[in-house]
This record gives sequence, C-alpha cells and structure tokens, in this order.
Amino acid sequence: MTAEVADAAEAAAAPAAPLAIDGLSVRYPGRKAAAIEAVTVAVRAGERVGVAGRTGAGKSTLALAAAGFIPRVVRARVDGRVAIDGIDTSGAAAVALLGKVGIVFATPANQLSASKLTVREELAFGLENLGVPRAEMDPRIDATLERLGIGHLADREPFALSGGEQQRVAIASIVAMGTGVLVLDEPTAQLDPAGTVGVADLLDELARAGAAILCVEHDPVVLGRMDRCLVLESGRPVALDVPGAALARAWTEIGLPAPTLVRLAAAAGLDPARAFDEAAVAEALRAVRVRPTDSATDTVAASEPTATTWSPGRERAPVRIAIEDLVHRYPGGVEAVRGVSLVIEPGEAVAILGQNGSGKTTLVKHLNGLLRPDAGRVLLDGEPTDGRSIAQLAATIGFVFQDPDEQLFERSVEREVGFGPRNLGIPGAAVGDLVVGSLAAVGLLDQRATNPYDLDLSRRKLVALAGVLATDPAVLVLDEPTTGQDADGVARVGAIVEAYRRAGRSVVAITHDMEFAGRFGRIVVMRDGEVVADGPPEVVFAPVNRDLLASTGLTPPPTARIAARIGLASVPLDVAALLAALGR
Amino acid sequence: MDLSWLTICAEGQTKGCIPTIQVAYLIAVLVGLVLLVVVGRRSRDLTTAVLTLVPVAIAINIAVGSIAVALRLPIYLDSIGTVLVGALAGPWAGALTGILSNLIWSILPIPGGAGPTAAFFAPVAGVIGLMAGFWASRGVFQVRSDDVRVGGFLSLAAGIIGAAVAFLVIQVTVGLPALDAADPDELIKNQTTFVLMALGCVAVGVVVGWMMSRTVFAFTGPDLRIRTYLVGATAISAFALVFAILRLLFSPSGYFSGVTGLKKDGSPDDFLGGANLTGLALSDPAGLIGAAVVALGVAALAVTWARRGENARLFPVWVGGLTTGLVAAAISAPIAAGVFGGVTGGGTDALVALFRTLGLGVFQSAFAQGLTSDPLDKTISYTVVFFILGALPVTVRTMYSRGETTVAE
Amino acid sequence: MSATTGYFIAGSSWLHRRNPLTKLLALGLVLLSAFLLPPVVLVGLVALVVVAVWSAGLLRPTVRAMRIPALLLFSILVVNSLFFPGATDKLVTLGPLSVSREGLTFGLISAGRVIVAFLASVAFLFTTLADDMLETLIARGASYRISFVILSAVQMVPRMQARAGSILEAQQARGLTLEGSYLRRIRALVPLIGPVMLGSLVDVRERTFALEARGFGARPGRTAYRIVADPPVDRWLRLVIVLGCVGVVVAAVSGILR
Repeated sequence: MTAEVADAAEAAAAPAAPLAIDGLSVRYPGRKAAAIEAVTVAVRAGERVGVAGRTGAGKSTLALAAAGFIPRVVRARVDGRVAIDGIDTSGAAAVALLGKVGIVFATPANQLSASKLTVREELAFGLENLGVPRAEMDPRIDATLERLGIGHLADREPFALSGGEQQRVAIASIVAMGTGVLVLDEPTAQLDPAGTVGVADLLDELARAGAAILCVEHDPVVLGRMDRCLVLESGRPVALDVPGAALARAWTEIGLPAPTLVRLAAAAGLDPARAFDEAAVAEALRAVRVRPTDSATDTVAASEPTATTWSPGRERAPVRIAIEDLVHRYPGGVEAVRGVSLVIEPGEAVAILGQNGSGKTTLVKHLNGLLRPDAGRVLLDGEPTDGRSIAQLAATIGFVFQDPDEQLFERSVEREVGFGPRNLGIPGAAVGDLVVGSLAAVGLLDQRATNPYDLDLSRRKLVALAGVLATDPAVLVLDEPTTGQDADGVARVGAIVEAYRRAGRSVVAITHDMEFAGRFGRIVVMRDGEVVADGPPEVVFAPVNRDLLASTGLTPPPTARIAARIGLASVPLDVAALLAALGR
Repeated sequence: MDLSWLTICAEGQTKGCIPTIQVAYLIAVLVGLVLLVVVGRRSRDLTTAVLTLVPVAIAINIAVGSIAVALRLPIYLDSIGTVLVGALAGPWAGALTGILSNLIWSILPIPGGAGPTAAFFAPVAGVIGLMAGFWASRGVFQVRSDDVRVGGFLSLAAGIIGAAVAFLVIQVTVGLPALDAADPDELIKNQTTFVLMALGCVAVGVVVGWMMSRTVFAFTGPDLRIRTYLVGATAISAFALVFAILRLLFSPSGYFSGVTGLKKDGSPDDFLGGANLTGLALSDPAGLIGAAVVALGVAALAVTWARRGENARLFPVWVGGLTTGLVAAAISAPIAAGVFGGVTGGGTDALVALFRTLGLGVFQSAFAQGLTSDPLDKTISYTVVFFILGALPVTVRTMYSRGETTVAE
Repeated sequence: MSATTGYFIAGSSWLHRRNPLTKLLALGLVLLSAFLLPPVVLVGLVALVVVAVWSAGLLRPTVRAMRIPALLLFSILVVNSLFFPGATDKLVTLGPLSVSREGLTFGLISAGRVIVAFLASVAFLFTTLADDMLETLIARGASYRISFVILSAVQMVPRMQARAGSILEAQQARGLTLEGSYLRRIRALVPLIGPVMLGSLVDVRERTFALEARGFGARPGRTAYRIVADPPVDRWLRLVIVLGCVGVVVAAVSGILR
C-alpha cells in the first residue's frame, strides 16, 4: 500500500475508531525539529497497534499525545488531531477524557498510586476519582481481577509485588475504570520473559473484550502479536502494516534492525505477514533450497551500527575467577545459592541465565564483594575476596548495574563517566583518554556535555556502561545489559563484549535475552540456587536440553527453535549461522 | 476582674504570671494553625504535578534528615525537599511540604529522632517553605553574577552587617544589660532594655540596607560592577564572620576571658574542672591585629574562589539561606524551650549545654543554639537545592509553573 | 512495624474499634492537659494512658517503643539538671558538674510532658491506620488531595531508603570509599544523595501522568472505598472529650488549679 492510499483508508476509518490520530505533528518549545510529523493511524475497537522505531523516533511523544497529555499537560505545538471516542483532545479538559483513555509506562512502580495498602484498593483508586458509588465498586473490582487473572494478588501490598505483577496491576487499574482505549509505552522494558509474556497475553485478552490498544514496544515477542505495527523514524511514519511486513519494510528502508524471525522470513521468501508464525517460517525455510544470498547477509551485517571498537586502555594482567562451593543465605534462612562451584578463565565470555529467583544475581554479586559468602569462597587469581572492600575490588571487577539511575548524578555525561576512574586514583591525563575511549565505544561521544538525565533510558544505560568501561577493569560484569535497550544499543553492547574477549579479559553477563546470550562462548543456567547446565550455547540450546531449559522457565533463541523444527543437527545462534546450515 | 496575672513571668518567677515560654508556645501553635488552614485552602489550586512532587520531597526530607540524625551532626538537613518545592512550585506548596514532613516524621518509627513529638515543629517547617518560595521568586537560584537583581541581595547583606555592627557598638560602648540578675524587677527592666536594643539594631540594619539599595546597589542594567561587588561582598562577609568569631572567643572580654576557673565567690568553677583559660583571651591591640590578619587571609581565599567562573552566584543563595535560618531559629526556639525544655535530642544539644554555661536562660540558650545551627543548616540546604535544580532535566522542570522562571539555566 | 503502616499493630481491642476521630480528639485532650495543667497532673496522665494501653493488650510494644525518645529524654534531664541557669540549690556534686534542684525539677516536668505526649501518640498510632484516620477526616471536609500526599509520602520513605541502599552499592562498585578523612566522607555524600534525589525527581514525570490517567483530582465528588467504622458510643465519647478540652483550657486560663 502506498502511503497516500494508506492514509486515506485510515482517515475513512477515523470517525468510528475509539482512537483516531489524523495528521498529527508535535513540536516541543525550543526545538527546531518536530518530534513527530504527519502521523495518521486509527485504532479500532478490539485492535492492537504496535509502534516501533529507534530511540528518539518520537514513539513516546506519540503515546503521550494519544493519551491526551499533549498539549494539555506537556506544552508543545500541535498540528493535526487526536480524537478519543470522537472528542478532540487538544481542547478537552481532563474530565472529558477520564475513563476513556489510560496510559501505562515502562517502570511498574511509577504506575502505582503509592497511597493504597492492597491491590484491591489500588484498583478502587480510579473508581473513587470517578465518583463511582461505593456499592458498585466491589463488583467492578472483582470482575477486573478475574479477567486479568490477578485475583490471587487482591490482598497483597502493591509495592511488594514483582515487576511483572505490578505492571498487570497497573493495567488492571485502568481497565477497572472501563476505559476503551489503552496506550502503553514500553510496558515490558523492565520485565523478565515470563512477565513480558504475561503482559502480551493480557493485551490479547483486552483486545478480545473490545479495547483499542496502542502499544509502543521494542520486544519482538510483543510486537509480533499485534494486529498492525506502525514504524516511526525521526518522527515520520515509515510503515503501517501487519508487524512482519512493517518491520521488514523498516529494515530495508531505514535500516532498523529487524527481529530474527522477520529476517528469516525474508530470506525464505515467505510473506512477511506470516513472519511471526514459527511453524510457517520453518516450513518455508525447509521447502526453499536456500543459499545464503549475499544481500541477506549483507543487510544483516550492514545493520550492525558503527561505533568505535573498544580497545583496552592499559595492559592488565588477566584474572582468573574461581568460585568454590559458594553458599549464600538470606535473612530468614532461604538459601539463594547452594554450593555453586565455577571457574572462569581469562578471556571467557560467560552468560548466566535463569528465572528471577534462581540465584544468578546473588551469585554474581559475590564477585565484587557486594555480597559475602556464608560458606565457600571466591578467588580472584588465587586470592580470596574477603578482606578486600567493594571499592578495592572495583579496580578489578567492573560491575554494571541494571538500573543506571542508581549511579547517575553528575551534570554532564563526561563528568559522570570520569567518576569511576577518578575514584580509583587513575591519574588525570589517563582519565581523559579513558573517558573519550569509553564514550566512543558506546557511540555517545557527541553527547559528552549533555546532562545524563536528559537522555532516555537506553542511552542512560550506555552511559552507565561507559562509566564502568572507563575504570578499565580486568573483568566486566553486566547485569541485564539489554533490558530497555533498543536494537542499536544491544548491538553496541555485543560489540564491546566481543572486544573485551579478544583483549583477553573475561566478561560475565546476567541476561534474559536468549539471542544476546547466544553471542557468548559459554552459558551457565541456574535454577533454585544451583547450576543445572554449563556449556557452549550450541550444547545448552540443543533440542535434547529443551525440557531442562523449560524447567528453568527459559526457551532457546528463535534460530535454535526454527532449526529444531526443521530438524537440523546443528544449533545455529544467529540468522547467518542458520542460513549457512541450510545451505549445506 | 483582676488581670494582674496577665503579665509575663520573669526568669524564676512562678506565681501570678504566665510563663514566657507558654506564651511563645501558644503563639507558635497559633501560627501553625493559621498556616495549616491557609495552606489547606490553597491546596485546591495545586496541580497533579505538584501533588506528585510533594511526597517525593517529603521523602527526601526524611531520608536525608535520618542520615543527619544517624551521624549526630549539629545540623538537621531535613528541609532540602521543602526548599526544593518552594522553588519549583511556589511558597504555599513549599509550606505544605514542610508541615506535612514534620507530621509524617512523627508517625514513622525512626529511631533517634524525636518520634511523635516532631510534629510540634511543623510551623517552623511551614515558614521555611514560605521563605524558600519567596526567595526563589526573587531569583535567588537563577541570578547570574551580572544580574540586576543581585543589588537587592547585596543591600540585604549590607543591612544584616549593619545590624551586627550596631550590636557590637552597643556592646562595646553602653554595654548589654545583665540577663541573670537576681532581683525580679531589675530582671524585667533589663529584659525590656535588651529587647529594645535588639529592635534598635534591626532598625539600623533596615535603614542601612534601604539606603544601599537606593545608592550603591541601584543597578539599572547588566553592569560589570555587579560581579565585582558580589566578589567583594563575599570577601567582606567572610572577613566579618571569621573576625567576629575570633573576637567572640579570644578578645579581652570574650568567652575565654571569663573562664577563670573560679566562680563569683571564689570557689572552683564547674566548667572544665576549674581550668583557667583566661590566657587564651589575647589582650588588645595584639588580639585585634591577630584576628584581623587571620580574617584577611580567609577573605583573600574567598576572593580567589569567588572570582572563578560563576561561583559568586552562590552569594545570593547563601543570603537567602541565612535569612531563612534566622527566621527558623526565632520560631523554633519557643517551641523547643516550651515543649522540650530547650533540647531536641540531636547533636545540637551539645551546643545548648555550651550556651547554658555562658549564662543564657532556657529560652535564650534554645534560641542561641538555633541561631548557630539553623542558619548554617538552611544555607547548606539552599546550596544543595541550587545544585539539584541545575541537574534537573528540562522535562521535569517544565512541569512546574515556576520551573523556568525561578531556576537557573 | 511495617514500613508502610508505620507503628500500626493489627488487633481488635476496644481501642482498635474506636473511630479514628475519637482517638484523635482524645489525643488532643491528653496533650492539652499535659501542657496546660499543673505538672502534678502528669503522673495521672501517664497512669491513665498506661492503663488504656494495657487493657488493649499493647503494653509490651509500648514499652519497646520507649527506646525511640530515650535519647531525647536523657538529653532533657541531663542538660537541664546540670546546666540550669540561675540555679542555686545544689543537690549532688560530681566533680566539676553538679545537679541543681531547679534544673532537675524543670527537667522532670519537661521530660514528663514528652513522655505523656509520646505515650498517648503511640497508643493512637498503634491502634489507628493512617489511611483510616485520613478517610475519616476527608469525610468531614478535609482535603482529599493533602490526604493523598500524606499516604503517598509515607509509602515513599521506605522505598527511598531502600533505593539509597542500592545506590550505595552501585557507587561502591565504582570505587567510592566510605573510609578516610572527614572531608572525604562528606564528599562521598554527593554521589550518594545525588542519585537518590535526582532519580526520584525524574520519576515524578511518569507518576504525574499515571495519576492523571487514573483521574486523580479531575472532578469533585470523590467517593471512598475504605469504610471506617463509627460505633454509636463514639459519638458520645467525642462529645465528652470536647467538653473535657474546653474545661482544661478554661481551668488553665483562669488559674483555678494554680
């Protein structure tokens, strides 16, 4: 469909649609370029529309405008029209839109009213504000709890829930108000795979019940289940189609890295609309005698973003990590880690996988002294870690935390990145070089003077990573480096891991992202505080281990799954490997 | 009806009068109630953005305040959030933040703090919020070192110094009335004289400040002199502060001169085991010159610091903090004296003990302790808020009506 | 004592069953009596509150809670006994310091007042949930928005303290040391307090949108989900208590009991 025809069709559907966006352009005060320009999309009742694009493409702006916050709460110049149930949002008061549209953001804890003691009361919060009579509240709350499958959480304290549970409560709070339009801005960015699937299931259920859903997302698991997908680039719409087709088009036209399944579908010549149907993709690949065409691999290679390769700042003796019979008990007696023994040689890149609660984070926090063992010990090059403080160990082990906001406090990115090396007593001239090198490696050298909090989450995570890189540690430890990160960011992190390994230094990463884990030379799977699998990804992700993996709540990456369906002997970890295996 | 009992008691008098501290306490309660009612009214106009900011600010107050309590610091550091809200959302939102912080502090089980009795200081916190909003609207967090509004701050600083100088002059010439006289009548007369003298100093300060604002500090447009004056003011303030402290301690009639180790009747003194510290009271003119030299050195350091970059723009911030601290001390003293017998259970109590040995009464030592801790505490808080506002991302600042007008670029 | 429910201890004693407003007024009466009536009343007030607390089965938690103002009480007694100005009557002399009768009296009275205030407040807080108290006040015209701010702040404090803990870990992992000179430790406060404050302030934006989406404050006529019991006996109790308050104020002002 050409753009004009698509727009006309949208416009025709507009009056009837619960959420109708027509030629919307938004420009923030003091900025030259518009945040979004000429976006037209109508979300019908029962339809799910996803929004994808790079960081800074305007997705969050679109979400805020769709929920009626621009220009009412956020000052900006608006052209075009956003209508909720026919009501134009630019002139409407908050009361008019109340109960018609709701919005959910990425950080679960921020969605809670933070003033209620139980989930049940949390759901009642919106009803109270609407002035719903008391007698009607309980039936509505019960119905919502039932529909969203969170009845078992009714009397729990909202802040004590897990991220995934909190997110479902947040969505439930809005649904309880009877809203017909639901806008979500990266709802799964901070959730683990189980939580992500939970949210995707929830959106299915809500759409079936007639809600109109607009969902900004990076995660292909969620995007693949949308009815349509809008792709934005620099504020302009690039594609609006079924997810497979829209993402394939975005890949060819603007080089937005496409999800693995979309690439495979393209390589197999399958109709992109069916890209997220794994059985269809497997069938198509099996049927077509495929030679890895140069264009396919070239497109894959070309979409790896260019950033300066990281190179070591100073010569460092390689460090060997040995964990011996490590036991860690939390107050209350729960054993988070039960007698784990592990050796990591210099130059190894290890990914540690497992569900939340498997003990992987607890284990890794022993490496730099954040936690101390109740039994067993941790040796760095034969020296035990007890007796050395966290700050002392920081010179050897560079730990990148999951939440960058726990570290950022300086006025500029440059000063922020320099904080770590200055603490470690690295002389001033060397600090400057390390800072520049790290920022170049994460591709943020042009942002050196920006205030870190003015950057969005994925770039803040890169700043935090650069901050640790600048301390030039012998071992790099990453805690969930890819959550909340866009495709470019993931690629940059991957490149850094690779460069570290080549320099003979070790990398340890905790991750939920199976595809990202596939880049590591060694995978360690944990369950209930023990190591249940330890080996190269080809072995861990092999079909024979599928049940084992399932018992830990994990699934192999898409390429491995497709290969298993096709019946290949090897376990390919990325698109190129799968195509190469088929070619033989 | 016999109304002779409506007089205010003198120190030590117990019959036929209303104790001073009870009067002062009732006034403080009244101020608190009035504030509460007004703030409650105005809260209807607060936007959701402000109502989301206030709980965060309250949590900041309590979190940072707990750290100060845990470290037994002589300052409180429990008003950072209050000042922040005052700057971003206006005086009444700031007052709300302060009052609620105190009320909430009293219902949360935080060991080491005053527990539920912290609520009594709510009026003080409310006034701090009001003043923060006031100062912010005068540009205290925004002015650069060449801004016209700096003139106002310089005048105010000049006025404060004028009042202090007047006080010193009175002390050296006429002499301060003794506040520990045994005879009740003489005591009341002395107290009245003291109050009149204090008011006189304040009047002198006001006149000086007003005159300066009309003459020396009357700027019409961006002026290179402004920056020079700012640097000069910083240096003069540093000099005055250090000089005053040194003279207070080491002059022939200063603190150490009285620590003879002996009481009036010749028996050994209670303080420091009867140690004779009069040797530390340097005799003039040597003491005078010594203090002046040290103070000059400090002033020179202050000049080098103030000339670097935009450091000098912290001077108005400090003026705002100092005045807020003085007002806070004035209001919290009667509460501390009336409710807690003059102490707060924190690290500041050591200061109270010190002032008691200097012969100050319950009320006066509470006030003196407040005078030492509060201005310092508020000045530090204002400085912290200055830096926070600078680090706040634009997306947050623009949510507040004053976010762009009162905050520095 | 959970972080979000503060002092509250669940139970079904007669104190728990009273309406929050009744308890609030009773607290006010006790405070007025402690500060306006002659000091001899203090002993009776302490006894009264202790009996009430004991009958509600909360004596042990109350005793344990007394460690909170312990330092304050100690300070009041020590500073006033040892350093009371104009004191002439010395009771005990220990080396350079001596305890004066006037100081001791004043200290005891002040400490007594603090003890009464604390005990009464704690009795109130042990048996009343802040949420219930605020709902009661809202039903009588208090500002709903201020009530929200209070409840919200109460829940945020433990979260912020937990965050401060994670931030401490994160910054230490970047080499921040907490040992060393005094100056060093003060400078270490900046990278600790900075992220605490900035991170929470940045969250304010999303939280504002989330609240607005839930209709907070959008229209008047808010209904309440929480139902707070108001037994009939409470209305009489409240009347009696208010009369008591008036009586105390009159007695104090007219000096009858002096």
